[in-house]
Order: sequence, then structure tokens, then C-alpha cells
Amino acid sequence: MAVRRIELMLCTGTGCVAGGAFRISEALEKEIQKQGLEKEISVIITGCNGFCGHGPLMLVQPDGIFYGFLTPEDIPFLVQEHFLKGRPVKKLMFSPPEKKEPVPLLSEIPFFKKQLLIVLRNRGIIDPEKIDEYIARDGFTALEKVLTSMTPDDVINEITRSGLRGRGGAGFPTGTKWKICRAEQKMPKYIICNCDEGDPGAFMDRSVFESDPLSAMEGMIIGGYAIGASHGYIYARSEYPLAIKRMNLSISSAKDYGLMGKNILGTDFSFDLEIRQGSGAFVCGEETSLILSIEGRGPEPIQRPPFPAQSGIWGCPTVINNVETWATIPVIINRGADWFSKIGTETSKGTKIFSLVGKINNAGLIEVPMGITLKEIVYDIGGGIPDNKKFKAVQTGGPSGGCIPYSMIDIPIDFESLIEAGSMMGSGGMIVMDEDTCMVDVAKFFIQFTNDESCGKCTTCRDGSEALHKVLTDITNGDGKEVDLEFLEEVGNAIKDASACGLGTTLPNPVLSTLKYFRDEYEAHIKERRCPALVCKNLIKYYILPEKCTGCKLCLKNCPPGAIKGELKHIHIIDQSKCTKCGTCLDVCPPKVSAIIKVSGKEMENITGIEEPYPVKRKGGKNET
Amino acid sequence: MSDKVGAVAVLGGGISGMQAALDLAESGLKVYLVDNKPAIGGVMAQLDKTFPTNDCAMCTMAPRLVEIGRHKDIEIITLSDIEKIEGEAGNFKVILNKKPRYINEEKCTGCGTCITNCPTRNKVQPIEKTKVELEPQFKDKVTEIIRINKDRKGPLMTILQQINSTFNYLPENVLNYVSQEVGYPLSHILKIATFYSSLSIVPRGKHIINVCMGTACYVKGSGRLMERLSDVLEIKENETTPNMLFTLKLVRCIGCCGLAPAIMIGDNVYGKLTPKDIPGIIEKYKTII
Amino acid sequence: MAQLTLDELRKKRKEAQKGIYLREGKYKSKIIVHMGTCGIAVGAREIVTAFLEEIEILTEKDVILTTSGCAGLCSMEPMATVELLNSPSVKYGNLTTDKARRIFKEHILGGNIVTDYAIGIGSEKGG
Repeated sequence: MAVRRIELMLCTGTGCVAGGAFRISEALEKEIQKQGLEKEISVIITGCNGFCGHGPLMLVQPDGIFYGFLTPEDIPFLVQEHFLKGRPVKKLMFSPPEKKEPVPLLSEIPFFKKQLLIVLRNRGIIDPEKIDEYIARDGFTALEKVLTSMTPDDVINEITRSGLRGRGGAGFPTGTKWKICRAEQKMPKYIICNCDEGDPGAFMDRSVFESDPLSAMEGMIIGGYAIGASHGYIYARSEYPLAIKRMNLSISSAKDYGLMGKNILGTDFSFDLEIRQGSGAFVCGEETSLILSIEGRGPEPIQRPPFPAQSGIWGCPTVINNVETWATIPVIINRGADWFSKIGTETSKGTKIFSLVGKINNAGLIEVPMGITLKEIVYDIGGGIPDNKKFKAVQTGGPSGGCIPYSMIDIPIDFESLIEAGSMMGSGGMIVMDEDTCMVDVAKFFIQFTNDESCGKCTTCRDGSEALHKVLTDITNGDGKEVDLEFLEEVGNAIKDASACGLGTTLPNPVLSTLKYFRDEYEAHIKERRCPALVCKNLIKYYILPEKCTGCKLCLKNCPPGAIKGELKHIHIIDQSKCTKCGTCLDVCPPKVSAIIKVSGKEMENITGIEEPYPVKRKGGKNET
Repeated sequence: MSDKVGAVAVLGGGISGMQAALDLAESGLKVYLVDNKPAIGGVMAQLDKTFPTNDCAMCTMAPRLVEIGRHKDIEIITLSDIEKIEGEAGNFKVILNKKPRYINEEKCTGCGTCITNCPTRNKVQPIEKTKVELEPQFKDKVTEIIRINKDRKGPLMTILQQINSTFNYLPENVLNYVSQEVGYPLSHILKIATFYSSLSIVPRGKHIINVCMGTACYVKGSGRLMERLSDVLEIKENETTPNMLFTLKLVRCIGCCGLAPAIMIGDNVYGKLTPKDIPGIIEKYKTII
Repeated sequence: MAQLTLDELRKKRKEAQKGIYLREGKYKSKIIVHMGTCGIAVGAREIVTAFLEEIEILTEKDVILTTSGCAGLCSMEPMATVELLNSPSVKYGNLTTDKARRIFKEHILGGNIVTDYAIGIGSEKGG
């Protein structure tokens, strides 16, 4: 391989690709050619770097300089200045919102500083489509070690000692699961990787397969060796085309090298992998239902026991683990259980990937040691809430989780603490909500979600979610009654008790946890007909402040239903009978004018919208424009 | 309440009817238990277990069946329809239409010999099945898809996914053909085809617009994107434009939460959108034909 | 491709590690070529190429090459700074490709400063 002086690690995760990463790479190649630098600089296409909120982005090695928000137009200047003349370009670097001076080095950016990369050790460093680069980063050393110096029982003991718990959400000890499966007499056995990442707001599985597909696969091969399986399935969502493409590439190159398939590395151990796709059903992330889906049967969860480890796919013992769990295995084998168990807390070992999204400055994917506090995640890594808004809550655990309020921001993140707080770890989605988020609306959103996704087998889940949804809709429409809150609690607890699978038993969590921590918001909706976050459409009105409106006609032109009356230099009036509350006017009103506000509750009574536009008059008759 | 007068008709001999009849009879009333089936027992008699406790169904109902059969104050009237009910509370008159049973119920001991000796029982009643032929536009591709996948374990999902992505939906006749070639009953295929949100049994537009309704997108206003799209395309969720260009769908998280709110058209993701970006994007796709 | 044996895999890994050494930030010495307008005008590009060619023949890739802006001493361009781990950096001036190759062999590989071309030891900041 020819030597290069600079390598440009260009992120091509789904986020950055959507932002035009491939256009950036074309522009880079073109400009590098133009400057005659093609022998000195190469562009490396890597997987997701994690800092998705700043994409398209790129890391310049060996200097370690980070550039974000790239556009093809920036490229010629960047290539000439930095790569030719050696002067890094400040305006493309990351600058924290409160500081003026940009931070050039990736390692210095607070977002990356507090992270500890184990599962994501190779993100942004290797080209996920080249197996050689994975091998160079100690890829398959764990497999070597296992095949040459460990018995299957050694492997299981090592994993058990490491204290690794399933990363899919429930946190079942991985070693124990493997042990149960190994003890089963029935053959053949199977390995499944659960990449049906249905939780809204979570994308760590996609990211692992997009940036380092082989690490999870190596974990699966090791798992196969440990339990005595020779066939594995990866069940992936069809919504992740790029991840599936990279899985396919990795499988075929690993087969070429004899790292998968018959007689791996010349031993008598064989292991094959196959990809199966989901078709957009949330419930298929539940393990029994995922297995039924691969088999081509109706994917309705079935009663456990028997657990899949005893009787899984095609009725055979099956170990099914999440992507993140599989990708952790090679590291544990390489560095040892003792090393791994030192990271994290007493009961939750190692690191966990979270997708930190929602109303947060540094949105992206982070890997942090267990036991880190929520505060560190939101403020140190996430950089706080945009526009100086107030932090309200963090939602974790997807539709099965709950909302953690500001008052509990100091809790450590581990399996037990989250459950105590009325939420759960889940697959690791962390959605930050600010004062503009209505908690009743969020609860309604989740119930709508589970109501849609309920497979319909259990009455409590199917009809219970319907009942909750109806009551929540009434409340957000301003038709709530005080008894509704008791009803929500009662029905919620009934659903918890009487549903068969994880989806049903955790479905009421978003409602119950918001009721616990944000009861005042529910009460405001019911008693005052007021939405404190100004979200629920039936409870708000848009209003143009006469003292601020400059009569520029911008909102008037953009209003989809044509509900705004006015003419140039006249105070505009919103005709409330026509307004659909789409919020376009608020978007288009220039920030320095910001004449449009939302009001709710008592204040709505005075707004009728029947006045006529009248001329703008300001101090000394001077108008702003 | 000392003297019980009159009689009660319990209509329907399922588990609840049976229990009601027993309770009434125990309290001293004469009970007529009416059912239109040849025997009482209802749906529960067909079940193995009951929800949600997984109790054995027959263990729950067998004692009641026996008790009803023995009770001196319960009269079972089976194979009967209600013709007419008149009167008012406390004084009803019920007219039943009893169908013939061709067996003398007084004398029958329920030994079952007639069933085993019936010459027409257990005869296979063949249903005429015509061989399904594919329309020319589907033929090559569908036979190819089936050929590749047929010998895999559990091929159905993969076959349906590939047909769905090739034709953008699952044509009815193709499903009949799959049923015939791969050997799954049509009812099962339809169960699968209607369970998953990305499979469709109605034709869809050339460009499928998926609006992400993941939590991150939702709190950042993807609901408003949906409204705007619906406005611009003049269709509602899950509908297709009359020119078969666009289908509007809602999807549960496409995993681009860093770009919230996002939509996905085909395999392309558009992120950090506001409603005013929508018309431009749609315009672009209108020209790609 | 034929299936790999254990030894072949290890060999392959060694081979592949050379390809990605730039990204790992592990290096023993660093060469900085000053590429201001003045430097480029008098041939800094050729110096870069010469150094790259030398690095290419190495078996242990532990040298990285970067560029920086004008060092301020335009009359002495093309210039380069060589930094060995745990020792002060050395600036060389008036370079040619031959001089560059000699510096590479004697200083970077051999560890001896080429005093003939050196114009200063230590950087401006560190003293």
C-alpha cells in the first residue's frame, strides 16, 4: 500500500450521507487531483463518527483535526489552505456555542472527551467496506485466541466473569444465557443477532453495522464456537439499506478469507452467517417474535419459558443477542474479563452506547462507561440545550421507557437506577426534551406508537392502549376530565399485569412516569384548558403582537390556509377561524422581529382575530423594516 | 325472597350462559337453557387454554357441563333459534324454532357408535383447484424470486419482501401463485402480508415517502412535516396520488435521529427539515420519472 | 482468494497495519515541511515527495509527515522541522531533495542531527 501523508476520514453514516457526504468526497477527489496531491492524500470512507448533528464531517489524520458542516463549495479552499499550505481552516472547525474560538482537535471537543469507546473502537478509523482495515485494528485476534487456546467452556466463563449484560434492554447476563444454551442436548444450535432496532430515537445498531460490521460478526462467530452452533442469522430492519449493504460486503469478504464458512482458519470449526430482513414491525424486536418472523410465521410473541436458549428457531437452542452485545465480545476476549469488569458500576459493567438526540446541541451517538450521570451526558457531552431553553426531561428506553425529570439529573446511568426512576435502559435512545415539549403530548405519542405496533394477541395490550390513547387525546384536545388521571393509572397498571410480552408489560411506562413527575401538566390541560408547553393545537392560538409587527407580509405570503389578513406596513391579523395552527408564520417571521407568539389557557379568550389590519405606527412615526 | 315463582330462559349455552343457568337453578328457579348449536359449551369448548392465565379450558367447563346435565331444574334446548320474544320484564313469552335432529334424544345414550359407523363421515370432499398462471408482466421476475429462495429454510418472508420491492406491492394473483408454488396456505400468506408495515397489498406510488415519527423527530416537529406533505400532495397518510407517483407513509424511526426531523424518499434521507422545505423536495421528485 | 491459515492471517494483519498507521497517532518521529507560498515557490513540494518516497521503503512505519504554514524565515526556504520523540525539534533550511534524503537517513533513522543543514534546535515556543 502506498504511503500517504494525509488521510481524510470522511464519515459516511446514514446521517452524513443524507447531508451529502458523497458529494463532499467527489469534490475532495476532484480538488486533490487538481492540486496534484493524489499521491499524498487519500480520502477514506468511514462509518458513522457519532457526531451526527454536525455532519457531513471529516477528520484529518494524523493531525486529528475535525471539520464539520462541510459543503462542496468549501472544499477547494480547504484543500488549498490546509492540505497544500498546511494552514487549518478555522471556520469549518467545531465551535462550542458559548465560545468564539473554535476547537481544532477532535480529541479536545467535549463531545468526544468523556466518551470511552469499546464497541465503537473502530468508528471513524476504518473503512467499513475493507476487511483488511478491520484486521489491522486487531480484528479477528479474539477469534484466533479462542480457536487456538480456549475451550468453549473457557469462553463462556470469561464472558460470565466479565459481567456483561445484554444490551438490548432487559440486561440479562450474557454468560448465563450462553451457558443455558450450551447445556442443551439438542442439535443443531443457532446464533441470532438482533438488529431489529425498532425503538424510536435509537440508532446504535445501525451505526455499529455501518462503521464496523465485522466486530459484531466476530462476536457471533465466537458465540457460535462457545455454544456449538455453526449457523447464524442477522435480523436487520429493512429501513437500514446502507447497514445491510455493508453486512453483505463483510460476509462475502470474510468468507473469501476463510474467516467464515467451513473450517475457519484451518480448524474443524465451521460457521456461516445469513442476513434476514424485517419488514417494519416493532414487535419483531421481541426475541420470540423475531424468531417467528425469520421462520415465516405470524410474529406474535409466544410465552416463555421455554426460552430461545432452550428452544428457539426451528425448535433448536438459540442464543439471541443484540448487536452491541455481540460487538463487545471480541474486546472482552482480547483484553480479558478483569479489565472489562473494572469499567462501570457494581451491577452494570462496561460501556453503553446511547443515541443522544432531541433538543440538544451536540446530537449524536455516544459510548460512555456505565455509572456516568445523566448530567454529564446532557451538559458535558451534549453541550446543553439549544437556544438557552430550559431542560425538562430525558426520555430513555424507547416506548417502553419513561421520562426522567430535571430533578433527577444526578442519577447514575445503569440498569437498576433507571428502573428505579420509572424508566429503563432499553436499547439506549436518549431523547432530550426542553420546555417546548408537552409531556402529555409525548405520552400520547408513545401510546399511539404501541397501539399501532401491538400485534393484537393480548386484549389488555390491544384494547388497553386504545383506551389510554382515547383518554390522552381527549386531554390534549381540551376535553379532559379530572377522573381521567385515575383512569389512566388504573388501566396502565392493568395492562402491565396482564400482557404476555415485553411490549405490553412496559407499554404504560411513558404514561405512568409522566403522570408521576409531570402531573401538573396534565392538570393544567384538564383544569385550565392550558398547554404549558404550547404544543396541543386545540389549546393554543397564534397571535401577532401589534407592537412588534413591521407589516412585512412574509407570514401572510407563506400562510398555507391564507388565514392572515394585512397589507404592507400594516399590522397583520390572524383570522382565528381559518388558522390551522401549522406554525408556518412563526417559522418565517424574522428572528429580530419575532412578532408571532403562541398563547394558551386564559390568555386565549381575548384573541378573536376579527379586527382589521391597521397601519404600523412606531415612535416618531418611524417604521422598522 | 322466599318463594321463587316462574321460570327463566337463558339464551346461549356458552360458559357464561352455563354459569348463569346454574346460579339461577341453584337459587330455585326453573331454567330453560337455549342454544342454536347441537350442544352447549360454546366457544370455550373449542379452546385449549384461556387468556391470560393459561388455565385449561376443559377443566374449567367440564364440571359445569356435568352439573347442568344432572340438574333437575335445568332443561337444555339445543338446535333451536329464537323465533319471537314478547311480553315485558317478569312476563315473557319466548317462541323457539327447534330444528330436527333425526335422533330420539330420550333414548340416546351418547355411545357414539353411529358416528364411527356413518358411511359418509370422514370422506374427503375435494375442492376443485385451478392452477394459477401468472400475468406476463410478473412471470419472469416472480418465478426467479421463488427459484432463488425456495430451498432456504423459512423462505416466505424473503420471497414476499423481494416481490414487494420489485413491484412496490404484492399483487393478489402473485400471492396465489406463491401459495401454490411454495406450499403455504393463502390465508397464512395474507396474514404475513398484512402484518408488516412495509408490505402492501394495494399498488403504491413510484416514490414512497416515509415520514419519520421517531421520538426525536416527533419532538422536533415531524407531525408538521406530515401535515405539509399531505397538503402539498393532496393525499392523506397511507394514500397514493392519483398519478401513482407518491405514496405517503409514516415510519417508526429511520435511525437518523441526529438529523431530526427527517423524511425518507426511496432510500434517500432528507434531514433537518422545516415544512417550508417540503414543496421543493416534492418538485424535484416530480421530474424524476 | 484461498482461505487463510492462522499464520497467514497474522501476516496479513502486520501488512494491513502499515496501511492505517496514520490514524492511530502512534509515531516516533514527525517531519513538518513548511509550505507557505514562498516555500512552494522554491520547491517544498519536491521535498515532500522525497520524504514520502523514503517513508515508503520503511518496514516499520513510525514516521509521519505533515505540512504547516510559512515558518517566517522565507530566505531559508524550503524548510523542514524534524521532531523525534522526547528530544527537541530541529529546523533545517535551504533544502534540496538530496539533502532531504540525507536528513531522513541520518537524523530520523540514525538519530544524529545533520549539523551541516541545521539552522536551529528547539522551536520558537519551547525555546
